[in-house]
Amino acid sequence: MLKLNNIEVTYLNVIRVLHGVSLSVDDGAIVTLLGANGAGKSTTLKAISGLLHIEEGEVTDGSIMWNDDRIDRKSAEEIGKLGIIQALEGRRVFGHLTAEENLMVGAYQRHDGHAVKQDVEMVYHYFPRLKDLRRNTAGYLSGGEQQMLVIGRAMMAAPKLMMLDEPSLGLAPLLVEEIYDIINRFNMEQKTSVLLVEQNVRIALSIAHYGYVMENGRIVLDGSADFLRNNEDVKEFYMGLSAMGAKKSYREVKHYKRRKRWL
Amino acid sequence: MAELLQYLITGISVGMVYALIALGFALIWKSSSVANLALGQIVLISSWFTYAMLAQAQFPVWLAFPLVILFALGLGWTIERFALRPLIAQPILALITVTLGIGYFIEGVVTFIWPWSVDALPRLFPREVAHIGPAVISQEYIWVVGICLVVFALLTLFFRHHKMGIAMRATADDQMAVQACGIPVTTVFSRSWMFSCVVAAIGGILIASIGGITHGLVQTGLKAFSVVILGGLDSFLGAVVAGPIIGLCESLGGGYLTPYLWAGVKDIIPFVIIIIVMVIKPYGLFGEVRIERI
Repeated sequence: MLKLNNIEVTYLNVIRVLHGVSLSVDDGAIVTLLGANGAGKSTTLKAISGLLHIEEGEVTDGSIMWNDDRIDRKSAEEIGKLGIIQALEGRRVFGHLTAEENLMVGAYQRHDGHAVKQDVEMVYHYFPRLKDLRRNTAGYLSGGEQQMLVIGRAMMAAPKLMMLDEPSLGLAPLLVEEIYDIINRFNMEQKTSVLLVEQNVRIALSIAHYGYVMENGRIVLDGSADFLRNNEDVKEFYMGLSAMGAKKSYREVKHYKRRKRWL
Repeated sequence: MAELLQYLITGISVGMVYALIALGFALIWKSSSVANLALGQIVLISSWFTYAMLAQAQFPVWLAFPLVILFALGLGWTIERFALRPLIAQPILALITVTLGIGYFIEGVVTFIWPWSVDALPRLFPREVAHIGPAVISQEYIWVVGICLVVFALLTLFFRHHKMGIAMRATADDQMAVQACGIPVTTVFSRSWMFSCVVAAIGGILIASIGGITHGLVQTGLKAFSVVILGGLDSFLGAVVAGPIIGLCESLGGGYLTPYLWAGVKDIIPFVIIIIVMVIKPYGLFGEVRIERI
């Protein structure tokens, strides 16, 4: 179980981007972190995975607990060993490696060669398309295939907690649904917890069990997926629906009419 | 005819050594985008160390050679750990400048320990000459080609199949993503420096066994730069192909043009070729063209 207790994150010792974020991810759960650009979602993930240190950021207050370990001072390598793996935003495949080599990089920290081979097959089972492309250069795959590869690479680490940063970014709706189906199946079959950062609120809440809404470096709302789906503010500001549940008519929209209740 | 054949063989084998040293350059460039300007001096100090082991300490070859490899591994590790690691996340130019400084430092150490500056390695390969068709050449050249091919093959296998080899190539593509996979990039950099020094040391021993140990070995490092630029900075295949091209240009140009032009013409031919290639193929013959999807 992952638990963030009131963390503050500061970049370069001056720029504070998270102002006391608390959240928790239960074992085996899918938890989503929603919010607009610049809300601090990716920073939260990087604080957990330890990648923050590379960007000269630091957790200046609060603590991050993984089971009973405090991990906010640990390096990305040590955190990876604990089974927390982050798939970065923006489909960052290793462009000059083949698809299968990309997967092997994901399994770098493991020493159980036999299980790694099985897991390659497991990834191909979840993403059959990757199997046909295994010898292709990753840089020339399509956007959707690259996203699959990035998720597959994270799966290869045999993670206990998989953190995905906007897997829907820039993909066609059908493809997004396909990928989310697979994430959902992977979670159910492998019991891996998933922490999902998304801007596509509708799709994220379709598979998540619990969700947090972030704005300006703070959590402003949290609740079960059902609760968030039916929350008027979430509907209005993140799904573009009016109180009636119908598509919003932009001709009649008046911005001052409705204020977010959490402000 | 015999003369031509001789030029071809010497050209190719010397070129192979250039290629080997160039691989040492490409190794570091690929994983960390640092141009190692100390390569020539690493070649120099490794061949002097070989000299110390074989001629001064009188160790047999089977003992001396592993010691040289250990020395090169240690050298690479030390340079990375104490000169480059503190500079991680600094502008790349700073790191390159540091390698330049390391080069001069090594040169100083070499002149301090071995002040006489010219010597010959004891013979490593059989003394008899080899007859290939009408040409008569010393056996060394054939051994050199063979050893180079073996090292190329080993490196290729390493980069294709070994976990660390694949991780090195991945690091070249995206350092951040590599760390997200839980790979310590510092280890990757450290290993690439160690391997680079070993490859450069082997190249140094081979070239010194042909031409003796002189300060000119530093220039051999420079030739390796021309090889990597011609072949493509990050391409192993490029280095392996471009090395013999440069070697052939030198030996053929030196052999046939010197009587008509001036002595030393052989040294500029490779560079003329490089300029022409650069104009036509700016990434080098086999350089990785940046993959960009739009």
